[in-house]
Amino acid sequence: MTQPDDKTSSSHYNQKPIRRAEFIKPPNILKSKVGSGGLSQNILSKAQDLLENNTVDFRPLGEMYLDQLQEGIDHSAVDLDLPEEKRQGEKLIRQMLYPSMQLKANGGMFHYELVTTIGDKLVQFLEVIERPDIEALEIVQAFHTTIRAVLLGKIQGSGGRYGLELIQALDDACYRYFMKYPDNIDPHKR
Amino acid sequence: MAYNFNSVTVLVVDDNIPMLQITKSLLLTFGVGNVLTAKDGEAAFELFQRYNPDLIITDWMMRPMDGITLAKKIRRDKTATNPYIPIILMTGFSEKHRIFEARDEGITEILVKPFKARDLYKRLFQIIEKPRQFVRSEDFVGPDRRRRESGEYQGPRRRQEDVEKMFPAGRMEMSHATKKDLENARKHLDEVRSKAGIKENEEITITDMDIEVDFVDAKEDSDEI
Repeated sequence: MTQPDDKTSSSHYNQKPIRRAEFIKPPNILKSKVGSGGLSQNILSKAQDLLENNTVDFRPLGEMYLDQLQEGIDHSAVDLDLPEEKRQGEKLIRQMLYPSMQLKANGGMFHYELVTTIGDKLVQFLEVIERPDIEALEIVQAFHTTIRAVLLGKIQGSGGRYGLELIQALDDACYRYFMKYPDNIDPHKR
Repeated sequence: MAYNFNSVTVLVVDDNIPMLQITKSLLLTFGVGNVLTAKDGEAAFELFQRYNPDLIITDWMMRPMDGITLAKKIRRDKTATNPYIPIILMTGFSEKHRIFEARDEGITEILVKPFKARDLYKRLFQIIEKPRQFVRSEDFVGPDRRRRESGEYQGPRRRQEDVEKMFPAGRMEMSHATKKDLENARKHLDEVRSKAGIKENEEITITDMDIEVDFVDAKEDSDEI
């Protein structure tokens, strides 16, 4: 048996390490500039008020993301008619995922918390399916229609009982889909 | 004493203009002296090179250059003015694999949208008070991905040898309250054993819950301390 001949090689058997990592401690410029003590509750409350009282109308932005989502759905539907080897499933899922994530991210920033909640469910659905089949696209379309209804109805906040019912219906549709097609889950995201 | 952000420059990058404006306003409310804005990664890199800001807050999904590519360029480009600059990534993604993807490209902190003012402050606080060392290797450049300095187990300790490790003989005296807790625990265990007819070294497996145990109130006992 070959023995390690020096202390350096002992932690890598008798081999020299290939990857070398350098550890650097950069100067903490921010700390030297801001000092210490944190921010007061008063400033944090003012900042939160600014967020809560912003008057930005989210609907044009939301509609833009919905249009992008619709484009993704339409492209995916066309893709389904192509032979298996020519389909670009993952790319199309990404095309739908991007506007869905934007709806989730921005709805709540501009008073449409229900859009965020529904968008989150849609992102979760798209994150796990392996390929967009016809029934998956029907579910994405249902999400699209629901979010559009929320925007058209100017339903701000959580949407109360109505919001809960919408979320429940979409949730049930997703569960039913995965019960029916347990194999259409991306193995890397299981 | 409180933080004074007056001499701090922050670069905010987002292609969503209302979001860009809101983030800028939040930073100004925090007292940040100079907020630069850009609508995509390419424009942001130019501003970064020209003004050398102290912090970057960027959105993920942008065209033509997204936030992750911007971070990668800043960390790896040899001409970058400050490759160690803290970068906060704003994103709607909260799935673990997305967070890991961002972390592996050198992002310092993630801010999941929608967020509250306090969430943004928490990320700033983390960067200011708990900065991480940088790692530069062939396949990674960025803040050390291990947040904890010690890999030691932090959870509750249930075994005798763990308790002995916590209180090595002669090094530290066990507090009276801890001693009381241990005594109570022993009493409970003895009661369970005697009611179930289990010997001291026998392992207890609870499959039948008809054993009644009268727990001693530790708070009442500790009043006398």
